[in-house]
Amino acid sequence: MAAVAASAAAEEPRLLGSVPGAEDAVESDGAVGEEGRARGDDDEEILRFMDSVDGYLVLMDSLSSALRQGWLDLASARHSMGPSRVSSTLFNHKEQTASTKLQVVDHAEVEPSESKPLFTLSKWRLQEESASNNDDPVQTGNKPKLRHRGSATNPEDGNLARDSITAESLTCADTSNHVQRARSKALSVFGGLVSPKLRTAQISFETALELIVGLANSRSNILASSSQIKQ
Amino acid sequence: MAGRANIPTNSSALIAIIADEVADCYGSNVDETTVKQIEDAFKEFTSREDIAIVLISQYVANMIRFLVDGYNKPVPAILEIPSKDHPYDPAHDSVLSRVKYLFSSESVATDRR
Repeated sequence: MAAVAASAAAEEPRLLGSVPGAEDAVESDGAVGEEGRARGDDDEEILRFMDSVDGYLVLMDSLSSALRQGWLDLASARHSMGPSRVSSTLFNHKEQTASTKLQVVDHAEVEPSESKPLFTLSKWRLQEESASNNDDPVQTGNKPKLRHRGSATNPEDGNLARDSITAESLTCADTSNHVQRARSKALSVFGGLVSPKLRTAQISFETALELIVGLANSRSNILASSSQIKQ
Repeated sequence: MAGRANIPTNSSALIAIIADEVADCYGSNVDETTVKQIEDAFKEFTSREDIAIVLISQYVANMIRFLVDGYNKPVPAILEIPSKDHPYDPAHDSVLSRVKYLFSSESVATDRR
């Protein structure tokens, strides 16, 4: 922006000739332009800050609802299954591998002036599953193609598109099955047959966990924006 | 739990929780937690490198408000959450208190102009 202002200031004397005060007028216009652009950047930062605050409040409200629903369902499940079947005494307090993982990427390692960590959640080992699936040497072209009745002159592109859609739907179905199995396994500590309320409580608390990670990111944005505004 | 050694995390991080109704979870023979114990747990969790998020019940956070409000590091993130008996109050949230302070300082600066 300074280069543009400088080049504009350099071009003006050619057009105006040796008019006294013309260069000073151009330079002051450039300074006012730069100040205007700085104020625009500040306004953008303030808007970003207020968006973060709004997002934080909305997420917090959603978290309150999710937790409230989860506690209600848990109490209902405890009532129907009995307090001995829904109790923390059933938990295994030994260290065990978590199926849902939290990761933090701190951008301060890349740019020390900007510390804005990013929190991500990997639920039910889905990232590990997708990584193991990606390691398979099977590619789209090598997958067995579905047979289609009717005309023998099917265009290849159509087949590939159908295969990719089918593969995607199979992947989504696999993921969904995996998540359902993981959820059932987590609830198996309460016994073989559990109340449906316990399952809905599990989903509520799972949602709450996602909201918590969203809140952590929102907090990180608020702190980063507020430090920018203070500067 | 506070006082526990770091758990091997393999590039993932932990979520710590400081909440009330601990006696409800572990039976009725747990002694009442003192404010000093809550402070010590908070200081421990915020200094550990394997913890990324600390969830603290807002009711408990109010007992150590000076510590929570004075904390300003990006990691671990301190989040005040509601509990069963104490709903969330945005007026006491430490993050929103900073927002209010920022706007109040901005308004003071505007008045001075």
